[in-house]
Amino acid sequence: MSTSDDDRIAYLSGEDVDSLSPQEQAELDEVRGLLATPATWEEPDAALEDRIVSAIAEEARRGRPVETAHAATAEPQAPRRRGFRWPFRRPALVFGGFAAAAAAIAVAVVLAVGSSSPAPLQFAMVVSGTSLAPGAHGSATLTKRDSGWEIQLSATGLPHLANGRYYQAWLKNAAGILVPVGTFNDAEHVILWSGAPVTQFRSFSVTEQLANGNPVSSGQRVLVGTAQPVH
Amino acid sequence: MQEGDLRARFRQGDPDAVREVYRSHGRLVYAVTYKVLGGRDLAEEATQQTFVKAWRAAQRFDERRELGPWLAAIARRVAIDLYRREAVRAADPLESAAPGESALVSTPESAEAMYDVWEVREAVAQLPPDEQQIVRLQHLDGFTHAQIAERLGVAAGTVKSRSFRAHKRLAAMLGHLRE
Repeated sequence: MSTSDDDRIAYLSGEDVDSLSPQEQAELDEVRGLLATPATWEEPDAALEDRIVSAIAEEARRGRPVETAHAATAEPQAPRRRGFRWPFRRPALVFGGFAAAAAAIAVAVVLAVGSSSPAPLQFAMVVSGTSLAPGAHGSATLTKRDSGWEIQLSATGLPHLANGRYYQAWLKNAAGILVPVGTFNDAEHVILWSGAPVTQFRSFSVTEQLANGNPVSSGQRVLVGTAQPVH
Repeated sequence: MQEGDLRARFRQGDPDAVREVYRSHGRLVYAVTYKVLGGRDLAEEATQQTFVKAWRAAQRFDERRELGPWLAAIARRVAIDLYRREAVRAADPLESAAPGESALVSTPESAEAMYDVWEVREAVAQLPPDEQQIVRLQHLDGFTHAQIAERLGVAAGTVKSRSFRAHKRLAAMLGHLRE
């Protein structure tokens, strides 16, 4: 394990460490903050389990009502998770080379507990046609994977493009910086990838482009949407 | 009960499966609701509502998916609804509210904040009990290593090494790539 990893662990455990950058300290302070929050430690009353089981048993006796509250059904149909844990807002840089050395501990602990891993971070959005494509509409899910952000787009109302014309998808952040995330000919079911974080680049658009070697956006937007975190 | 069988039985609405799901995910759901609501009573009410709503919607649950994220999503919505209910109910001026009043502790947390607290809670739960105790005493209770050593009746060096091991495990479990 490198000395810098030891320093980070020491800082996380509350020791004063001068070698860390302000950014590293700030990120580790977030972890320390979560370790200090009661929500991480509070235990519910032991009787809560029986109260829940009783409440549900009563529901079962009366006949289970259809759950219309959006709370239970609003999640979009996400792709099947491939054993990826929820990403934590901490750079792998922070725990750098130590991560590989400590991986055996993590695996052993997870196997011993046998608990399931949480799903990846995910956003979703409705996409709407612009004045150039008023009949277009659809939806998309944006899922954080190891390779980047996977964007699954399904949209109807856009014609198939060919013969030197194609669609280009973009993500844009609050500063107006535009990042290309893929090209395609048909929007009915497209898988795109973004190396830029959706958490910061949340404005989505699709433009019509000409295959003339010019990579910049044509400005001919046909679909737009804004990514919202799934909750 | 195997995880896949548990999900299938939960999907079918088996009350015994509900108990098993609560035992495997109840503390995590509680952590999410507590993070939003900041108080035991409301967090327990939200936790109960979460499991009831989950059971009602179980037929729509895709048993190929993980239960945890699905429950966390329901828990957050339920907690936010409760939070808003309490905010409307609190007709008194702010000055008359007691410090730490659960309805005033925090604004509804973002989905990302919920994932963070869920993941930290899960990581902490996977620590051996002696290491978990050290981390809690350090971070939640704010004790120094020397104070912890005195409290537990062990050498300060033991506390320090146990603390280092615990935080090394936490770092391994929490240190993912950031965009």
